[in-house]
Amino acid sequence: MEILLQHCVNALQWGSFYALIALGYTLVYGVLRLINFAHGDIFMVGAYIAFFISTTLLAKDGAFALSMDTTLALTIPLTVLLTSLVGVTLERIAYRPLRRKGAHRLYVVITALMCGLILENGNLALLGASRRTLPQLLEKHVYSLGGIAVTNLKIWVILAAFAVFVLLQLAVTRTRIGMAMRAVSYDRFALPLMGIPMDWVIVFTFMVGSGIAGLGGLLFAMSYPVLEPYMGVMTGWKAFIAAVVGGIGDIRGAFAGGFLLAFVEIMVAAFLPSTFRDLFAFSILLLILWKRPTGIFGTPLTTKI
Amino acid sequence: MSGSPSNTVLEVVDLKAGYGKIEALHGVSFHVKRGEIVTLIGANGAGKSTTLKALMRLTPPESPTVTEGDIRFDGASILNMDAHVVVDKLGMTLVPEGRRIFGNLTVLENLQLAAWTRRKQDTRQDLDRIFDLFPRLSERARQRSDTLSGGEQQMLAVGRALMTQCSVLLLDEPSMGLAPLLMYEMFRTLKQLNEEGLTIVVVEQNARLALTVADRGYVLDTGQIVAEGGGKELLARPEIMSAYLGA
Repeated sequence: MEILLQHCVNALQWGSFYALIALGYTLVYGVLRLINFAHGDIFMVGAYIAFFISTTLLAKDGAFALSMDTTLALTIPLTVLLTSLVGVTLERIAYRPLRRKGAHRLYVVITALMCGLILENGNLALLGASRRTLPQLLEKHVYSLGGIAVTNLKIWVILAAFAVFVLLQLAVTRTRIGMAMRAVSYDRFALPLMGIPMDWVIVFTFMVGSGIAGLGGLLFAMSYPVLEPYMGVMTGWKAFIAAVVGGIGDIRGAFAGGFLLAFVEIMVAAFLPSTFRDLFAFSILLLILWKRPTGIFGTPLTTKI
Repeated sequence: MSGSPSNTVLEVVDLKAGYGKIEALHGVSFHVKRGEIVTLIGANGAGKSTTLKALMRLTPPESPTVTEGDIRFDGASILNMDAHVVVDKLGMTLVPEGRRIFGNLTVLENLQLAAWTRRKQDTRQDLDRIFDLFPRLSERARQRSDTLSGGEQQMLAVGRALMTQCSVLLLDEPSMGLAPLLMYEMFRTLKQLNEEGLTIVVVEQNARLALTVADRGYVLDTGQIVAEGGGKELLARPEIMSAYLGA
């Protein structure tokens, strides 16, 4: 029983990472009908941004030499901000010109894949192949609750994911920009007729999605402090699949899908040899999609005449 | 050209526009004066919708690219303007063909979204006015708008356009898919709005209905204007009605 609960806690943490990345996929898809395949690499860039900010701020002989707590308090907003700018830049230099020319979706998807490869290999070329380690930013505490060990970091990660989800859900249902995002996902054509600048909505979407991925990158790097240029690839793919299984375009779907994937992965690894993990996990997801091709929260797209 | 130039709000000069390499408008010229109802009529594929989308400065691929000629609003060219600026700064918007309401939003949200550029408290009056005009919308304010009937959706599309505080309203086939009774009701409402000061450009396949309420009309045929005149005047020309409108 305790072991099972322990696995659940681990799955919640692991799912938090998937959920934070999946939210970005689903937001961009909802607004642009574009799968931003560079998104996993934005998560990686977020982790590296966190690394550079925190090492600069912490350095004893540096200009700042800040304490651990202050560094963390500054690293969080700076990482989110800078990563969101990376996303906006990507939109500006890669996707927007294609949109202006009315390029077919296939070219946009290929462009997204290439952007991801450029981010990975650009990182490799600039920083070399050696792995980086994020400095410790949080004093580690282990709480023991009835035989289950939980670190404070784990609790923070899970709380952060839930907080982001609630805030995002509120933003999308209660604010005007959120209303515009939902409207675009239904019909892009009519939005400018309301006097709303389409580009503004798109930039906002990329900012929010990338910012959340940046937060995910930071929390991931704090939990598993080894950084390498390809760390976003597999995690990104899995988060994308989680978003699809949840119902891409739906925020609840991305969130639920992230946790679902993590639970399946961890439970499979708990009871079977760990080499079976991905095979089983993805077979189960395939079954879900077979039964519900639109994902758990997805609704089939209808075109109105 | 009739009327003083200062009175002319929209002026389309020898407009050529198309989709990719295919030209859809081959030099269309017309004008609209403030306070008028002007109708563009013609058969399917004559270029009526293309004209309205070009006027709104909507972007390809759904909307045409202007290759020659000019569109002027209050005397100034708007060819380099974006659609949302046309709505926001010039006060002109379009009720598109097929209504294109945001079906996943409630009726109220659709209306609020159209007041994007204004503060929430400033929009209360506009909302009341629209609910006055279309009481059905007020009954269904909290309902998802794709659950509305066709007629109600058309009301919402018009109401939503009015929420932008436009002074020039373009409508693309507002009668499409409506039962005759609703069709007449819609045009009566348009006439009422016009009497309150709204300038209206309406594209219609139902030429008889449109010409009855319009001050002036232009007949489009394969991307060119082939006839123009007062609404009643065009109605009285049987050769036009039969040659271009199949009536």
